[in-house]
Amino acid sequence: MSDAPRPELVVDGFSEKARPRWIELATSADHKDIGRILIGGALGFLSIALLEMLLMRLQLAIPENSFLTPVTFNRMLSDYGATAVFLFAIPLVLGLFYYLAPLQIGARGTALPRLGQIGLGLWVAGATVLYAGFLFTPSEAGVNPLAPLTETAFLSSNGVDAWATTTGLATLGFVFIAIDLLTTIRNMRAPGMAWRRVPIFAWAAAVSSWLVLFIGPVLLAALTMLMIDRNYDGVFFADGSGGAPLLWQHLSWIFYSGAYVLILIFALGAIAEIVATFAGKPLFNRPAVMGSLAAIAVLGPLSWMQNMLTAPIGIGWMYFAMLMSLALIVPFGLIVFNLIATLVGGALRMRAPLLFAIGAISAISVGLGAEIEQSMVAAAWQLKNTTDATAATHFALVGGAVFGGFAALHYWFPKMTGRTMGESLARISFWTMAAGIVLAFVPLFLAGAEEGQVIDAYKFFGNTGVDAYNLIASIGTLVLAAGIVMTIVNAISSREGGPKAGHDPWGADTLEWFTLSPPEPHNFDVLPDVRSARPMRDIREAIAHSTSRAERQAAESQPVA
Amino acid sequence: MAPHSPGTDQIDTLLWIGFVAAAIVVVAINVALFAAVRRNRAERGATPRQVSGGRKIQFRVAAVLTVFAAVVFVVSIVFTDKARETPATGSAGLASADAAPLQIEATGQQWLWRYDYPNGSFSYYKLVVPVDTAVVLDLVSTDVVHTWDAPDLAGKRDAVPGKTNKVVFRADEEGHFMGQSASLSGQAYAAMQTEVEVVSPQAYEDFVKQQKSDIESAQERVVSLIAKGEVP
Repeated sequence: MSDAPRPELVVDGFSEKARPRWIELATSADHKDIGRILIGGALGFLSIALLEMLLMRLQLAIPENSFLTPVTFNRMLSDYGATAVFLFAIPLVLGLFYYLAPLQIGARGTALPRLGQIGLGLWVAGATVLYAGFLFTPSEAGVNPLAPLTETAFLSSNGVDAWATTTGLATLGFVFIAIDLLTTIRNMRAPGMAWRRVPIFAWAAAVSSWLVLFIGPVLLAALTMLMIDRNYDGVFFADGSGGAPLLWQHLSWIFYSGAYVLILIFALGAIAEIVATFAGKPLFNRPAVMGSLAAIAVLGPLSWMQNMLTAPIGIGWMYFAMLMSLALIVPFGLIVFNLIATLVGGALRMRAPLLFAIGAISAISVGLGAEIEQSMVAAAWQLKNTTDATAATHFALVGGAVFGGFAALHYWFPKMTGRTMGESLARISFWTMAAGIVLAFVPLFLAGAEEGQVIDAYKFFGNTGVDAYNLIASIGTLVLAAGIVMTIVNAISSREGGPKAGHDPWGADTLEWFTLSPPEPHNFDVLPDVRSARPMRDIREAIAHSTSRAERQAAESQPVA
Repeated sequence: MAPHSPGTDQIDTLLWIGFVAAAIVVVAINVALFAAVRRNRAERGATPRQVSGGRKIQFRVAAVLTVFAAVVFVVSIVFTDKARETPATGSAGLASADAAPLQIEATGQQWLWRYDYPNGSFSYYKLVVPVDTAVVLDLVSTDVVHTWDAPDLAGKRDAVPGKTNKVVFRADEEGHFMGQSASLSGQAYAAMQTEVEVVSPQAYEDFVKQQKSDIESAQERVVSLIAKGEVP
């Protein structure tokens, strides 16, 4: 080899003008940058959703309150729904998947980075439309706006159009990100990483991507029909001209049921990683957990009519919906069993990620337990559209997206920033949130199941036995919000000020901990051969082994006196 | 809620069964979870054994879960089928409803319920029905989706434009039962209530007769006023 200079390697003297950080970030197609924007944006919108929720709970703190007008309440409700689902939960889930799954499988980037970038852009555009809409006139049609209320005959202002644009753009963005994610996990796994060795969180990402690829277009089709109805005199959801209001319910509930299980698949995937790491054990029965996650993704959307048990559909369809919903007990139950079995016999380090993960399992179990009763047909005739349904959904989704999301945030924060989140604030935040979720939603279970208090209503009447329940729920929401804000504050202040973390602060088993914290743009300089589902453990053992051998050799080579 | 109809009796029982099923799941998971956490704190144990689980226990757990889900499914179907049966009119009920249930059309509209009785009369907001009589409400809607819900008498059902939904009940005592619409239908949704007044068969007959003559005389008055040119 000659030492002749190789001009193509000479980079000294070639200096690209350094652009401001925000331009770098906004134009980056790196999955880590896109993931971070999604996660940060999602936490921002979580704060907005909390504010909207608090205002609505303030209105519902006392009977026949006149703090918000009916129209304001309905607008708040509609924006809350769109924000919580499309601007907080799904982007947080996809952001974490998109940041971490490529690292976990040992990829140096994603397969189709521009697609991810377009996805992010569409999501930002959608979010802008919703809150630009907030300045003039938001939708008044509710969380899942049921046709024909959304037709121009009943809501002629452009609020519904803004809602449909927001959800449409965001969903299209999610589909693009899902395509990139799936292609990456399918094609760019490190040498030796067979499907059976894929980290469980990356597996959850792959399953979720399939799910988004299925449910996203269904909602997009429904939204297209809605926009044609509203703007080009279409009659898809209008009665009397060949249209069918129920069509909207079928299509939208396929999406919302899918989004519901999407959030739970994410949470269970993250919890599985955390539980295994902090117990110091492998995940109990990985193949069963992987299979169950896939089964949930199939059964979730198939149980869409569980939301339509009071609609004029045949009793056979109702039983079908109940069958699909109850079938979900098996995969969910198996996963929870295996998570607890992973804890048993472990040496549990009760750090913040594990605390949030355990809280998430507990909250999700309450939500899913209540959902069993919501899917028993005749029981649903009493419970549907009561605050019992609100409480069931929120226990599962706050448990999944907020407790589960925060567990993931605390766990992977050192990888993303190189610093650990403050432990004591994390603990205070967790226990505040735990008290908050119980206080906020257990009274709503009671108000709904005992007294049949209806959802989405801007007021309730006094002397109907629900005054105390609603007051406690309002206070509980405030407590929950306070706890959530603590973690957001913790995340912001720990980015620069948290204790420094090494590349592997938790002693975890998966490949993302092999690289630097935060990782270089190309993720990995070198990649190990993957020989098992726990490559980092293999590496630690190999190092320990070679160190001890080196010591032994050193001892043996001592000159004999 | 207190059931006042054969259907809601069944629903009430099923609600309790559902509550027990949900409670079993929630309690089992949380007790196991917290026991596992308490027992296995790091300071108590040595290096954990690297067990990764066997196939056998998975099949056992899956079998238990399947049986649980199947039992819930079958029990729900049994009670649901009973709850949706049209009951027979009792001895204290309306004699003319012995053969076929009393058919009343309930129309949801923003933000009021209208009830059309078999004799051609109608009422708004308040539904009057005879006690111990099988009643079938045909739910229709003229505008958006409304949900008819009087929890003591029947399970809730949606009134969707272009479709007919059915609510059946047989009130077991006279009295007032409140109902509340349960689907967001626009601005005044929260105030969209209804009241079911259960009366004796005689009082019901009198009510619909009175209602019919009132409506007819009012209509005649309007027609005569128009004829006289007093109403444009």
